[in-house]
Amino acid sequence: MSSAVPLTHTASSSDQAHADEGKFHLFVQIAMLLGVITGVEIIIVYLPLAKWLVVTALSVLSLVKFLYVIFYFMHLKFDKLFCTILFFIGLVLAGGTATALLAIFSSKDSIPETAKVIYAERATASVTK
Amino acid sequence: MSAHAGTIDHHHDHTTTTGIPNKKLFMWAFLASDCMFFAALISTHVIYRLHPTPDGPDPKKIFSIELTSFSTFILLMSSLLMALAVSASQKGKVEATRKMILGTIAFGLIFLGCQVYEFSHFVHLGLTLSSSMFGSTFYTLTGTHGVHVAIGVVWLVLTYIRTFKPANEAKAWIIRSIVQFVAFAVAVVSIMVMMLAVTHAGAEHGYSLSSVLHALQTNFITSVSTAAFAVSTALLFVLGRSTGEVDFGEVNAIDVEGMGLYWHFVDIVWIIIFTVVYLLEYL
Repeated sequence: MSSAVPLTHTASSSDQAHADEGKFHLFVQIAMLLGVITGVEIIIVYLPLAKWLVVTALSVLSLVKFLYVIFYFMHLKFDKLFCTILFFIGLVLAGGTATALLAIFSSKDSIPETAKVIYAERATASVTK
Repeated sequence: MSAHAGTIDHHHDHTTTTGIPNKKLFMWAFLASDCMFFAALISTHVIYRLHPTPDGPDPKKIFSIELTSFSTFILLMSSLLMALAVSASQKGKVEATRKMILGTIAFGLIFLGCQVYEFSHFVHLGLTLSSSMFGSTFYTLTGTHGVHVAIGVVWLVLTYIRTFKPANEAKAWIIRSIVQFVAFAVAVVSIMVMMLAVTHAGAEHGYSLSSVLHALQTNFITSVSTAAFAVSTALLFVLGRSTGEVDFGEVNAIDVEGMGLYWHFVDIVWIIIFTVVYLLEYL
């Protein structure tokens, strides 16, 4: 009976050590994945693809990076659901505000007349080059 | 180190009605509000990004995708170290926590250095805070993010110093911690001055060892900074040695975790800024 206690203790210590090592590897793998996604984003920008496709790809990749960081590095996956709900309330309000602002004030609609001249000059210069 | 290593449930607190530690709940509420703050800044930049500087540079031509990608990678790696620091503190490993925090501080400073270099380069090329709407929204957004990083670095330094609080002799520790904080401040400012001098010398005379050494020796302010950096680093090394039992352990993991949440948030904001502000300009 006396030997059972140290054995159990050794087994739980070993499990803990495995769990620690597993978490370390998980964090490193996620960090490497995020680095690779950043590299892919840069490559996509230079690929001769349609603008809507590039914007969609960049948005999806950024979202993937965003979700990995909040759920793994920020422990949302391991914490209580209320933390996720609380953060997503802010996130939804932020996203809604941004969407509303961009829907009301489109960047192309708000270009001043002087800027239109500058863009026309730049376009002419790039054509002549 | 904590005597209760491995006995605290870091994801559940029975003393609160929500089951979440109050410090963590406060931090998540703060980050949710900060999301809205950054959403407003990012939207404003996207709306005004087509307002160029009259006779000024084209953003597409002055943005350096190499530098920005490097900054992004550095911030991602700092997030990894921060996650490992939180993990180490939850296991009561003080030495590992200190090392990871120091690494995070170093990466945070590299990021800030890159941002300072980028801003000074843009101003030199004619893109200033008041030159156009693009400049105003760009500097406001990236500058606010930079301030968040700077606050994060100060918080990390304070937490690092906190890990040295001895189990007794708290009064002597306060003086020691002030000296440690001042040494950190001197080291950071002096290395920034040195890097700036090296960058300017490299831009003027080419990036070689002789031009770097020449820049560090000839200018009075740079020479003083080099000496100040050497002294403050030596002081930090001496003060950073372990001295007996400390009043920091697994019970303080919640403080490290709160700081970690803030640091990761700064990282996710940069993920958005990198895509929306920098990459979209290349389309």
